[in-house]
This record gives sequence, structure tokens and C-alpha cells, in this order.
Amino acid sequence: MTSIGVLQIAIFLGLILVCAKPLGGYMARVFEGQRTFMHPVLRWLEVLTYKAVGVKEDVEQRWTHYAASLLSFSIFAFIFTYGLQRLQGILPFNPQHFGAGQVTPDLAFNTSVSFTTNTNWQSYSGESTLSYFVQMAGLTVQNFLSAAAGISVAVALIRGFARQEKKTIGNFWVDVTRATVYVLLPISILAGLLYVSQGAVQNLKPYTEVTTVEGAKQVIAQGPVASQEAIKQLGTNGGGFFNANSAHPFENPTPISNLLAMFLIFVIPGALTYTFGKMVGDTRQGWAIFAAFSVMFLIGVFVCYHFEQAGNPILANLGLQTNASSGQSGGNMEGKEVRFGIANSALFTTVTTDASCGAVNNMHDSLTPLAGLVPIFNMMTGEVIFGGTGAGLYGILLYCILAVFIAGLMVGRTPEYLGKKIEQKEVKMAMLAVIATAFSILVFTALSSVIHFPEKGYWNSPGNPTANLSNTGPHGFGEILYAYDSGTANNGSAFGGLNANTPWFNTTIGLAMNMGRFLFLLPLLAVAGSLAAKKKIPSTAGTFPTHGPLFVGLLVGTVLIVGALTFFPALSLGPIVEHYLMHDGKLFSMILLPASSSIWGIWS
Amino acid sequence: MWEQILPGLRIKIFMTVVLGVGYPLLMTGISQVVFPRQANGSLIKAGDKVIGSELIGQSFSKPEYFHGRPSSAGGGYDATASSGSNLGPTSAKLVHGTTKMDDKKNEVVDFDGINLRIVHYCLDNDIAYESSVPLDQFKDAKGELDEVKLIKAFNDDKAPLVFTPKAPIPADAVTASASGLDPQISPDSAHMQTARVAKARGIPADQANQLVAQFTEGPDLGLLGEPRVNVLKLNLALDQQFPVKK
Repeated sequence: MTSIGVLQIAIFLGLILVCAKPLGGYMARVFEGQRTFMHPVLRWLEVLTYKAVGVKEDVEQRWTHYAASLLSFSIFAFIFTYGLQRLQGILPFNPQHFGAGQVTPDLAFNTSVSFTTNTNWQSYSGESTLSYFVQMAGLTVQNFLSAAAGISVAVALIRGFARQEKKTIGNFWVDVTRATVYVLLPISILAGLLYVSQGAVQNLKPYTEVTTVEGAKQVIAQGPVASQEAIKQLGTNGGGFFNANSAHPFENPTPISNLLAMFLIFVIPGALTYTFGKMVGDTRQGWAIFAAFSVMFLIGVFVCYHFEQAGNPILANLGLQTNASSGQSGGNMEGKEVRFGIANSALFTTVTTDASCGAVNNMHDSLTPLAGLVPIFNMMTGEVIFGGTGAGLYGILLYCILAVFIAGLMVGRTPEYLGKKIEQKEVKMAMLAVIATAFSILVFTALSSVIHFPEKGYWNSPGNPTANLSNTGPHGFGEILYAYDSGTANNGSAFGGLNANTPWFNTTIGLAMNMGRFLFLLPLLAVAGSLAAKKKIPSTAGTFPTHGPLFVGLLVGTVLIVGALTFFPALSLGPIVEHYLMHDGKLFSMILLPASSSIWGIWS
Repeated sequence: MWEQILPGLRIKIFMTVVLGVGYPLLMTGISQVVFPRQANGSLIKAGDKVIGSELIGQSFSKPEYFHGRPSSAGGGYDATASSGSNLGPTSAKLVHGTTKMDDKKNEVVDFDGINLRIVHYCLDNDIAYESSVPLDQFKDAKGELDEVKLIKAFNDDKAPLVFTPKAPIPADAVTASASGLDPQISPDSAHMQTARVAKARGIPADQANQLVAQFTEGPDLGLLGEPRVNVLKLNLALDQQFPVKK
């Protein structure tokens, strides 16, 4: 690790910390319906939306209606995104003439679920599959709306804690509109222009044909990239315009745009902790969560940075320089861009998987094993380290419920959080969410590792799912584990060596994304409804304070222990064993395996 | 019931217009006026012919040019197929390379691998090395290296070919970038190539080194990212200042 690398990490976290209070306070006002400095500019659009949608601003919903609205919102989002992709051949803004042939029904299903659930898993590569119209009207729109839905659920859950003896938790349509109009849209416009100033493209032209200096032909893909890039990061979506995502020089041209990207990913999740504190009437509660986020973030980033800078001993033996110097970055440069080097790649990897973003500025499949373990584990926590826009906050509140429950068991008292008794219903719902995600990740991974398909069949034309891998041995297992982990956690980044564009993977990863989104979110809305109806009990000397270092430690411990206990066996079969084999100099060949064998490739 | 469902349809239609058409078109409009060069891909022209983008790397293989990084985008620097290798740290393919049979049943290189890249890097740039078997044994009738033979030798389980450079190779010089379109190389990798470039152009190596130093940029704001050299811009400057004598 270099001092300038560490300094860049510190500056990044500092920026997020500085913005938490102003943006968080602004969001609290927005969602409580108070006037802000943006109202003179944007109130007309808010009012126009209510008119167009047919919603009364001051009518609130019970949790069941709130949840039904969310489901309706998601179903129409799914249908639209599916339809636009399949019909792209007859729609405008399609200079490369892509049609339904590029988007098979299973791929369109996967992509629609992906952009409805804020995952942005991509089985396709953008520049050779989708028209500009689908990218804008289909995907850019969902980048906004799925993020707005996440923020809404978080706000509804906060209201559950903040209110007492109320039957309602807010109005979904109003929350979604406010999140879009006052938070996501204005920041995206500013950030999009900053992106263009750095070199991100923003046009509707056909791809540019050039004759290179040595006389070869090169076709350069273009498109309305910057506008999508801004909301892709801000909404923790992560779906790239191009296949290489934020490693592509047109999506992420400079170290400055790279810092902007990471800032956009964390800024709302960081600020929502303050919004939370403000709305429940005790900002210390919000800062405690911010502190827990920061501790878990810093552990991840330094583990990742350390192992990437140490590099791959197998390549060092061949004569590659792994120490950083003033003239080169050293470390593991496979799958990395020179302008980002090791520090900014490791930082980006941690940020994008802490939050449920999934944009990548380096190829995670080529990470050294224990550096690659960091994104896998981050996603396994359910994205509760800053987390997705909204999703991070409602995720960590679930762990807060579990943490006070565990503390309550230790001392034999009914657990309380923010003056609300945590009882059977809340704990059951929290556990349902934890179990559903673990089930989705582990069962689908296991299934894909062992299931048999005939070659050239419909479900998986390469044959067994293991034939879709680019790596064998433990790393190949890691590719499958990463895929379902990423889908379930609604992250969307990938170990890109897995060829996931087959009906089997498109369908199962699509199901995993739905389970990870809705089996997490619906139980939490039920908790919100149940909490809002409860009385607040005044705190006494016996109340466990939830704003001090003790609680932060308990919360971090709960997240890490639940994650570790659930997933350690799977992790040890993948990255952990690979780490030791790498230091032993073991390599795995891509030898086509007979149909009956498993992913455990041939030792070489 | 419909009270909860219908707004879902209406908001989707309304927002598709506002966010899916209005927002990107507004952004395109502003960008085309305020940042026309960047918004259209930072293209570089020679006369009125476009010869590339300063942000998108392109293939260089002639000795008089600086070479970029290995690329996994399509057949190499294919700017419609951005991609990394996606090979993991314990991949034999990544380290030793692979061969395949082409349509005419000739064995050809499928993936070059880092070992073979190091061999080429050493030979191209006159870097001293040790080889467990003399490289002459891998040359064909024309005296050129037989890459298929080399890859097979590296992959040999029992007595693999061991090739070790005597100077450390900058890691970026022989590894593929994430996008396959990385426009830059590290300053160290550029300096290791100056002797070859200078010789091919008949100029002192110092002049080439000075040009590299002049084209070394970053960290941005003195702090962000890594120092780097844009290969296309450097090569264009070379052609301008020290044209190849024909």
C-alpha cells in the first residue's frame, strides 16, 4: 500500500462524511413534505406528476397498501422494460439497427427483472445488443425509479420507528415522486455534466469509423452515456452502457470521474443515516449507523487493497514487478486500467459492492483470491455497508433489530430499539429476510454446480452450467457463487468469465434477483406497519443505549457473524482455498470436462 | 384495489417521457453546446480524417511506435467489444497461453499468455533474460519465433520452459486491461520502450525519453489516480517531431 493510495481512501470517506448532514437534512425535509430551497425550481414537476398519476399528496397508506403500490410499480416497470427490448427493432434512436434477435425472451426477462430490482446484472454487452432508445427510455428510467423505490421503503421504515399508534406509513407514490424529483434528478443533471467535462460521451450518433495510425480500421461505439452514467452511480444501479462498465474510458475517463463515481455511489446511503436520525428525533442514532458502516467499509477496503498490491506470486515469479514505484503501480494489474492503478481499483471494488451498485472499474474475475473475497462477502451481508440507495438503510435497520434482540437475549430483557418494543413479529420478519437471501444464494449456487444439461439443448447450450465458466477449480466455483450472490444482493457486478446469457442462468439469476429484492423488502414493510402502530416507551436506566460505541460494535459483530456463519463453507470452497493454492503455484487448465465430472478441473 | 394498481401504469408512462426522453435529450443538448469535443468522443483528426480517440487505445505493433497494453477487446482494441480477459489468478491459460486448431486443422495460438508476452517484451526491447532452453530452438525456417511451440513448451507438465527476464517487467506491460481499450501505459513501461523506438527512428534515446517525460500526466490534482502516458498522443507527437525516414 502506498501513502498516496491510503490518502485517497481517506479523502473519499471524508467527502461522504461531510455531505451526510446537509444532504441528509435536506432529504428529511423533502420526505416530511416541508419546503426546501429546491421547491421554487422543481415544485411544478412534483405537482404535475401527482396530476398525471392521479394521486392525492396528503392521503397516506397502511403498510399493505404501500406494499401493493410498490408491487404494482414494479410489475409495470417489468412489463415496459421487457416490451421495449423486444420491440427495439421498430423503435427510434437505433443507428446500429439492433432487433429482437439480439434480445431473446430469456435475456429480456433477465434484464427487465434486473433493472426493476435495482440490480443491473447484465447478461448482455450493451454496445452490441441494445439501441439508444432502449438504453434511455428503458434502462435510464429504471435507474431512477428502482432507486426511488428503495429510498421510499427506507423512509417508510423510518416512519415506522418515528411514529406511534399510527396506522399509516406514508404514501408510496408521493415518496417515489419526491425521491425522483428533488433528490435523484437534480444531482444527476449536475453529475452528468461533470462526467461529460471529463470525457464521457453524450450523443445519439452512429458508431464512429476511424483509420488508426498504423492503418487499421477501428469502430468506436458512441451513445448517450453520461446521462445514464450519473444515475447509474447515484441510484446504486451499476448497469454499464458498455460491456466494460466503468472501466470503459467513455464511461469513466479520468481519476476525477472515478472519484465522482464513487462519491455518487455512497453519498445518498451515507446521508440517509442522518435523515434517519433527524426523522426519529435523535441524530446520534443516525451517526451510530454511519460509524458502523464506516468500520465495515474500512475493513473491506484495506483487505482488498493489501492483497491486490501484494499481487499474484505466480506472475511475480515470471519476473513481473509487484512493488509500486513512482513510475508504475505494481500489484495485480490483470483486468485493471493504468489510470486507476491498484489503489483506486481496490477502493472502487469495495465501494461498489458495499453499496448495491455493481459498476466495476476493474474486472473482479481477475482479482487475487482474498481481494475477490471482499466483494463476495460484502454482497453476502445483504448490502448493509452503506448499501444501496435506501436498501442499505432498511437493510442495516434489520440488523439493528437482530442486534438488540441478541443483546436482549443476553440480559433477559424484552429488546427495544428507539423506544419500540421488538417482539415476535419483528424478529420473525427480520429472520425471514435473512434466510430468504441465504437460501437464494446457496441453493442456486449448489444447483448450478451439479446439475446436468445436454449439449446444444434449450436450457444451456454449452451443456452443464460448469461449461459456461472461463476458469476451472475453486475460481470456477467462485464465478457461480459470485453470480447468485450478486443477483440476490441486487448488486449486479460479476465475475465476468461466466457466460450467463443462456436460458438457465438468465432464468435462475432472474429468480434470485426477485427473491433478494421482494423477500427482503416486503417483510420490512410489515415491520414498518407493525412498529408504527406501537406506543413509544420512555427510556429508563435499564434501556440499552443504541447510539454509543458498544452498540456500534454489537451491530458490526452481528452483521459479520451472521454473514460468516451462513457462508463460511461456501467461501472456503472458493476464494479461501484458491488463495492457498495460488501461493503453492497451482494452476488450473481449461480442459473440456466429460459430461459426468464436476467443476473441479484438472490439476496441472 | 385499482387505486393501488393504476398509478403504477400512469407513473411509468409519465416518467418514461420525463426521465427516458426528456432527461437524456436535455443532457445531450447541453453537452453538445458546452462540451462538444468531449461529448462526441474526444476524437483526434489529421486533416479532416478521424484517426482515433484520445480516450480509446488502438493497436500498435511497428517498432517505431510505443506499444499499448495487451487487449482482450474482441481481436484487440475492438471499440465495439470492450472486455477484460476475465481470467483468474490461478488460470493456466492466463499464465502459459493456449493453442487451438483452426479451420484448416493447423495448430494456432488461441491465447498468448503472460509468459509469451514477456518473451516478446524482452526481445522487442532488448531486455536481458535467462531461458532454460535456448530460444533458437523455437525458431522456424525463417528465423521467426514459433509461438505455438513456445506455448506448448510453457505448458509442458514435466519439463516446462522457464524464461526469466533480468530486469523486472512493469506489471501493466504484459497484463490485459479491464476495458481492453486502455489508452495509457505506465511511465516505466514507456521508458523501457524508448531504446527501440529511438533506434527505429534514428534519434538518440534521450530525445525519446524527454518526449515520454513531457507526455507523462497525473496524478490528477497532484493526488488522484496514477501517473500515465497516453500512447496515441505520444506516438502522434513522435511522428510530428521525428518522422520515420523512408
